[in-house]
Order: sequence, then C-alpha cells, then structure tokens
Amino acid sequence: MGLLTILKKMKQKEKEVRILMLGLDNAGKTTILKKFIGEDINTISPTLGFNIETVEHRGFKLNIWDVGGQKSLRSYWRNYFESTDGLIWVVDSADKRRLSDCVKELHHLLVEERLAGATLLVFANKQDLPGSLSSEEIKEILDLEGIKTHHWSILPCSAVTGKNLLEGIDWLIDDISSRIFTLD
Amino acid sequence: MITEAELLKRGSITPEDTLRLTCSTDNYLCEVDDNIYGIDFTRFKIRDLESDTVLFEISKPSKEEMPDLPGSVDVTDPNAGRFVRYQFTPQFLNLKTIGATVEFVVGDTPVQSFRMIERHYFRSQLLKSFDFDFGFCIPNSKNTCEHIYEFPKLSQDTMQKMINSPFETKSDSFYFVNNKLVMHNKADYAYNAGLE
Repeated sequence: MGLLTILKKMKQKEKEVRILMLGLDNAGKTTILKKFIGEDINTISPTLGFNIETVEHRGFKLNIWDVGGQKSLRSYWRNYFESTDGLIWVVDSADKRRLSDCVKELHHLLVEERLAGATLLVFANKQDLPGSLSSEEIKEILDLEGIKTHHWSILPCSAVTGKNLLEGIDWLIDDISSRIFTLD
Repeated sequence: MITEAELLKRGSITPEDTLRLTCSTDNYLCEVDDNIYGIDFTRFKIRDLESDTVLFEISKPSKEEMPDLPGSVDVTDPNAGRFVRYQFTPQFLNLKTIGATVEFVVGDTPVQSFRMIERHYFRSQLLKSFDFDFGFCIPNSKNTCEHIYEFPKLSQDTMQKMINSPFETKSDSFYFVNNKLVMHNKADYAYNAGLE
C-alpha cells in the first residue's frame, strides 16, 4: 500500500475537506462564508485574523478557513496552506483599480508547493454591483486558461444575494472528492 | 484511563492526557498565568439552525474597551472568567442542529500551534468531545470559529435525568499551544429553566 493510498484512506474515514478562502481585503470572503452557512451578513467587519466554519454538507465535513486579506496579513497566508484540498479565490469584480494586485497575489499562490494538490475555485464576486466585470472578463485578466497545475473553475457570484455560492462549493467538493475519495 | 490526581502531579499536560479523562475535573489543570500568549476569549454564541435564532450570546469588551473602574471587578478570584454557568430550558435538549461560535484574540507573539479540546459530560457519561486544531494564529489577531453540529442524540431517560439534575452536566475546555496546556475553562449546565 503506497503512501498516497494510505493518505486517501485516512481522509476517507471522516470525509473531511479543508477549504482555504483567500483574496484581497474587501473582496467579500467573510460575507460569502456567512451567507453560505446562513448567518447575518449585515454586521461584518474587516477580518483581522481568521474565521473558521466547520459544517457538514452532503456527507462531508467541511472546514472552511477565511483568512484576512489586508496587505499586512498576506505574509501569514502561508501558515494556512498545509493540507488544503480546495482553494477559493475571491475577486471583487467591481474593484478594477486593484485587479493587477489581485492577479499577482493569485499567481503567487499557484506556485506554492503546499497548495499544489488543491482544486481552485474563483468567485467573481459582487456581480450585484453596477459596473462589475463579468466572470469571462475576470477569467481573461487572471489568465485562468494558462493554469495547467490545478483543476480550476470560475463562477460569477454575489455574496449579498447568495447567487451561485452553493453551486461553487458543490463544484469544489465534486472535484475534490473525485480526486481524493475515489477507491483505487 | 488516567486520573486527575495523576495529571495534577505532572508539570505539563498534553492533548492526549485530556482525551483520556472520563469525567469533568474537580480542579483547573493549569494556572491562569500559563496563558503567556495573551489568548483571550471575547465572545461565545450558540444558535439554532433549524429556527435560525440566537439562543445565547455573551461578549466581553476587549481590554482597550474596558473602562478602568477600580472595585467594579472582583480581582481577588483568579478563576473568575474561567467558569460559565448556563441555564437552559428543557427544550434545549431537543434541538437538532446547533452552531457554537467562539471569538478570541491573540497577543503580540505568533502562536504556532493552537488546539482546542472540549469534553462535555453528564456525570461520567461523555456526551460530546470536540478536538479542533486551529494551527497558527497571527499576532494581535481576532479570530472566530463556528462549529455547526448535530446535537448528540440522547435517550429520554438521560434527558430526564439531566433536567432533574441541574449543573451535573459539565464541560471542560482545554487549550494547548505547541501541545502544552495553557488554558482550562469550565462550564456547567442546567436544563430546568422555567420549570420552578
């Protein structure tokens, strides 16, 4: 029995999935998290650390980590990479001014060895705002087609209305489970 | 199996030690001063997901927000703040899905590995054991963690005993940094509110 097989079997026992949600500050990570688990989204303040939710969903135990995106906090992101199965990258589709920062930070993550095995989901958030870029445009700007190292997908979403949040998480879980929980 | 007396003789206590305990402890297994990382719990919340209502919420002002009023806090009891007493109605035991949130702040030094083990007992019956690894905590951070879980299914007999025996349901929360116990909080629970 190879190491990978053993690891797969260990994970299979609990069907535990670790999801790390990152993105620039004010992208809407915490609002996405709260909306997904049905909490009030009217009193959200900037995250100065992490927010974790552990929740059962479709027979999986999801551990979702939302880590603050302020510039001073980004150097700490690396502390949360270990054992990540799925990476959610959240983009403020209306913040055109900082899209170049957004591209740079995402591509730093994609070369991280400890994230090499993670599925990537990009949420093109804030689609409810006038003037927000479409997910097609975000896909171009982030050069997602150029990613060969990770399974990836992008979805337009709105944390405020909840549009596509569940669809996104479900796609992520499907991709992760097809990689990790399949019997060999 | 391990007894509390054996543990108290030790210099430091590990997560594995607390996972082997079979009932709530009589004493705190570490000193208040062992928390050298400035870890401070600032909010607890329990909500019912079925009815989407907050059942309990308590928050504590952070040190900066706390007005400096000498004499308003009993500083003679070093264990104040380590113990919480909950009084719930019997209906609480019928809840299905619960979300339990804690919020905590961390001091000036990074915490490399932070782990929580929480054990809930009715007398010597283990009702629920949580074991969660927060891992790294950013210096001067404020963090939250919500566990959404199915309330343990209890027999009618056990539930009735819990209602009839206020504060015999107890929990120990153990917090470890780098596998060393640095905080120990306790709580007890009654489920007979509104019956008297």
